[in-house]
Amino acid sequence: MKKIDLIYTRLRTEERMILEALRKRDCAVELHQDADLVLPLDAGRWSGGNVVLMRSMSLTRSRYLAAILEVKGARVVNSSRAITTCGDKILTTLALAAQGIPMPWSFVGFEEEACLAEIERRGYPVVTKPAVGSWGRMVARIDGRSAAEGLLQMRFDMGSAQDHVALVQQYIDKPGYDLRVYVLGRAAGGIRRRSEHWVTNTARGAVPERYEVPESHAKLAERAAAAVGADIAAVDLLETRGGEILVNEVNHCVEFARSIESTRIPLPELIADYAAGVHP
Amino acid sequence: MQLQKQMEAKDVAGINGCPTCAFEITGDGYMEGEVVTCEGCSAELEVVGLKPLRFAEAPEVEEDWGE
Repeated sequence: MKKIDLIYTRLRTEERMILEALRKRDCAVELHQDADLVLPLDAGRWSGGNVVLMRSMSLTRSRYLAAILEVKGARVVNSSRAITTCGDKILTTLALAAQGIPMPWSFVGFEEEACLAEIERRGYPVVTKPAVGSWGRMVARIDGRSAAEGLLQMRFDMGSAQDHVALVQQYIDKPGYDLRVYVLGRAAGGIRRRSEHWVTNTARGAVPERYEVPESHAKLAERAAAAVGADIAAVDLLETRGGEILVNEVNHCVEFARSIESTRIPLPELIADYAAGVHP
Repeated sequence: MQLQKQMEAKDVAGINGCPTCAFEITGDGYMEGEVVTCEGCSAELEVVGLKPLRFAEAPEVEEDWGE
């Protein structure tokens, strides 16, 4: 019987479905709530199994736990490298750039006036996002100089030193949706997320529907997942009005509770198969 | 006495009760750590005990949570 440790923050619909799928595959699953784990920082063997499925919702907890467990000999899905990279949009962009993957242009700046000058040089609209953030929170479209001044001032005046970085990205005029391709080693299906709002996160109300992933999109998503070192990933693609496909983000802890009913992509089964498959 | 202690515990209303609105929640198959939505007040609740079944308000979503 394969032993798999599943680390979670909350047992949401996703984790319950994955758990059920693992048990159907005769896996012995041990559940660990991330908040309960206290682990010594040494190379002593992890008392759990060889394979850890990381489903912690917390970036901080998941990346440290993955790093610790890797030192202790566990195979963590996703790895600490993948979590660290995907959890930071700047590091993600750099990993994708290093592999020549098409993306919207973007830049990073550390001071208000310098960022404003660069935005003015490139032209409006642009998008600004926190380097570390989720569910579309604090993502803003900047349509002109006044908005840029206000948002950049907030970015650099609020929070702590680690927040004082501006990630500015090209605004892509999407045709009312974006695309998401699930990769588990290989592309395994996708959804289209429709919204009248330019932010197309399902957490922000976008409506998911299934789409048949063309080979070119599948290959691009697989390249993106490989670039960040992710075993399992949801790769967000943007389609321009001209039909060009760009990679926007790569997500390491795939959420599907809002989409599985309409898309019928069996992600819990696929994730369970993948985790069971990496078992030595 | 045991029940009284549970009811007095912070954020825990008592057996099968929503800590926010006291709506009685029944059923089986729950798992510790599972998050459910109260049908009475739509509060997000976490299962904190199984025998007896107990709920607490789910922890606030942290800034670094989510996809």
